[in-house]
Amino acid sequence: MSGLVASLLVLSALSGLLVVLTRDPRRQVYALAGNGLVLGLLFLALQAPDVALSEIAVGTAVTPFLFLAALAAIAMDRAGR
Amino acid sequence: MSVRLRLVLLGLALLALAPAVIHVALALPGFGTPTSPYGQTVNVLLPDLRHVTNMVAAVNFDVRGIDTLGEECMLLCAVTGATVLLRGARGEGEREKAGHVPGRPVTPRADATVLACRIAASLTLLVGISVALHGMTTPGGGFQGGVIAASSLLLLYLGEGYAVWRSLVRGPVLALLEGGGALLYGLAAFVPLTLGRPALQNILPFGTLKDLYSGGLMIVVNAAVALSVTGSFGLLLLEFMEETRVPSDESVPDEEGR
Repeated sequence: MSGLVASLLVLSALSGLLVVLTRDPRRQVYALAGNGLVLGLLFLALQAPDVALSEIAVGTAVTPFLFLAALAAIAMDRAGR
Repeated sequence: MSVRLRLVLLGLALLALAPAVIHVALALPGFGTPTSPYGQTVNVLLPDLRHVTNMVAAVNFDVRGIDTLGEECMLLCAVTGATVLLRGARGEGEREKAGHVPGRPVTPRADATVLACRIAASLTLLVGISVALHGMTTPGGGFQGGVIAASSLLLLYLGEGYAVWRSLVRGPVLALLEGGGALLYGLAAFVPLTLGRPALQNILPFGTLKDLYSGGLMIVVNAAVALSVTGSFGLLLLEFMEETRVPSDESVPDEEGR
């Protein structure tokens, strides 16, 4: 196992821990996006570029966006009451 | 459930499962050493059998193409379900005002953001199309290309704002892409049946190895997946984006749910 893969594995564990430990949902979304990016880089280092592409597009762009839109809708709903 | 009871449950579960987990973990192949006989066989046989260099695409779209047809239907059903759930109360019109949470600042876009997003969105869309088109030769393929193309829609929104975005991104077009892609996949499975062959049998000429045209019917299936995934993810983005609008009074369902 190369140093690059090892450091990315450590980084993915740390960023995953950050997602769990973050309590504010909006910050958690960004932590999740960061974790997705680290996982994408890890897949790239493990020579799976196609999985890395999907992980970065789905895990870093689309899923956080869906969460953010849902959180915004909930916050607006609460403010309207 | 009290904390003590949870800890007792955790202890019991660990006692029962930990030996099995350790046993399986010790029997795993070493990290980074591919030993799967299936993978080795695919690597040896498929370049000659199907004239493609991307083995993942070959397995997904040809060898196990029926599995992917099932996944395609799952995607179609999931996105249709989400769309049906979210359609209605908010954002159906194209010019509705953005909702606002009190106390959160509204900052206008800088010109640099607009420019950077225009450049990045076009480049992302081109990368998506390229990844989808080269699905048979290089890593990537329909799903990856479709997701990248759909995420360029997000960049487009970031740069242009909601009103322009809505006038560019048309719901019916995305729905057509999604359904059309699924239909194309269904046809690719069905047409061989009408010729008396097994479903999804690769009946087109295989083309040349490492060429843009290689893989025969896999090209059609790959294009179908690319269209469907672009449409699905685009539709999902559109429906969620509509939820950030101010609900218009007439369209809010009343007590009877009408």
